[in-house]
Amino acid sequence: MEVTLLIQATDDAFQVMEKAKMQAVGILDTATRLTSETRTIQERKLKAIFKGAHESQSGFLNFVATFAILIIFWAVLSGKFDAFHMTLGILCSLVIAWLSHDLLFANVRIGDIRVIVQRFLIYIPWHLYQIFLSNFHVAYLALSPRMPIQPEIIRFKTKLESDISWVAFANSITLTPGTVTVDIEGNEFVVHALSKKVADDLNAGEMEDRIAHIFMEADHIYIQDVLDVSRIFSALK
Amino acid sequence: MNGFAEMIIKTEDIIVKTIARILIPFIQLFSLYVIMHGHYSPGGGFQGGVIMGASLVLLFLTHGYEESKERMSEKAAILFSSTGVLIYSGIGLLCLLLLGNYLDYGRLSLILNVDLAHARSLGILGVEIGVGFAVMAVMFSIFLDISTGGIEPGEEKKNEKASTR
Repeated sequence: MEVTLLIQATDDAFQVMEKAKMQAVGILDTATRLTSETRTIQERKLKAIFKGAHESQSGFLNFVATFAILIIFWAVLSGKFDAFHMTLGILCSLVIAWLSHDLLFANVRIGDIRVIVQRFLIYIPWHLYQIFLSNFHVAYLALSPRMPIQPEIIRFKTKLESDISWVAFANSITLTPGTVTVDIEGNEFVVHALSKKVADDLNAGEMEDRIAHIFMEADHIYIQDVLDVSRIFSALK
Repeated sequence: MNGFAEMIIKTEDIIVKTIARILIPFIQLFSLYVIMHGHYSPGGGFQGGVIMGASLVLLFLTHGYEESKERMSEKAAILFSSTGVLIYSGIGLLCLLLLGNYLDYGRLSLILNVDLAHARSLGILGVEIGVGFAVMAVMFSIFLDISTGGIEPGEEKKNEKASTR
């Protein structure tokens, strides 16, 4: 009799404990779900705010930048600076900037244009120097009697992210004597190299690093990047 | 038969696509320059219109129909071509109404309040703008008709329904 009572009591205790456990798990689940929900909502809200601000801001900036570039292009083409022709030029540039401002500066982030242009101008002399060096190398290959060429197709995955940086990199490779970009498949570059040295230079990746530095990509953040961007963000605030 | 959108096959070459994207605004501005300076230098309405049409064709070839249909459509092309012809014939008829010959720009000096030579220059400019509009739109719609087999955007659904019945 007593044993039965004892067993029943133990059973009851276990049941109560099970219930409590289930409740606790339920509460914990709800809490987790609520937290994650609020977090996603907050994230989405933040993202929407940032994206909206980004879009309107960059849309207007793109428009202004495109207009400025086009009016300079018009002045170079036209060469007539009387009021009538300049008015025509401003009207035409406005129309074209309105039609295709999102074409010229697609995939460009806030305030990046100035930094990119500045760094691109610094990149050009370096690239000219590389072309100069490669010229000598290719001339040596062509003129030496043994002609020590080792043509090969090399494939490598790039760490660059946007189409404009891919194109800049591909054209830099093609402009350098000895290497020609054959194709870009996905994010894989197919490059024809004339000799071992040229291929090694390419695989060393200095050019890619510099292109990534110009377009601020691939976690390629230098201290200089932070300094450059912080100035722009403080101006925007 | 495929849908309307798949008929213009866009290129997968990222280099061609990006360079086209960057060049198109400059091509378009150059076409307007050719139109606006047609009475000073070689060029004019037809040439400018063809360059403008070519820039649109380049856009459609590189970016595909779906991505670029907001910029230019078949309906807009029809509207532009008839607007261009209207500008051209309107200026011609205006000269007739001012008791001159058809496209006798000198007569426009009566309403534009400028001297004879200036009125001729402005009249030629107006006519060239009209020609440019018409040629651009017609070039574009010829391209669209050839590349899609003459099917309009709304029609392909009707065809699909008819074939399922």
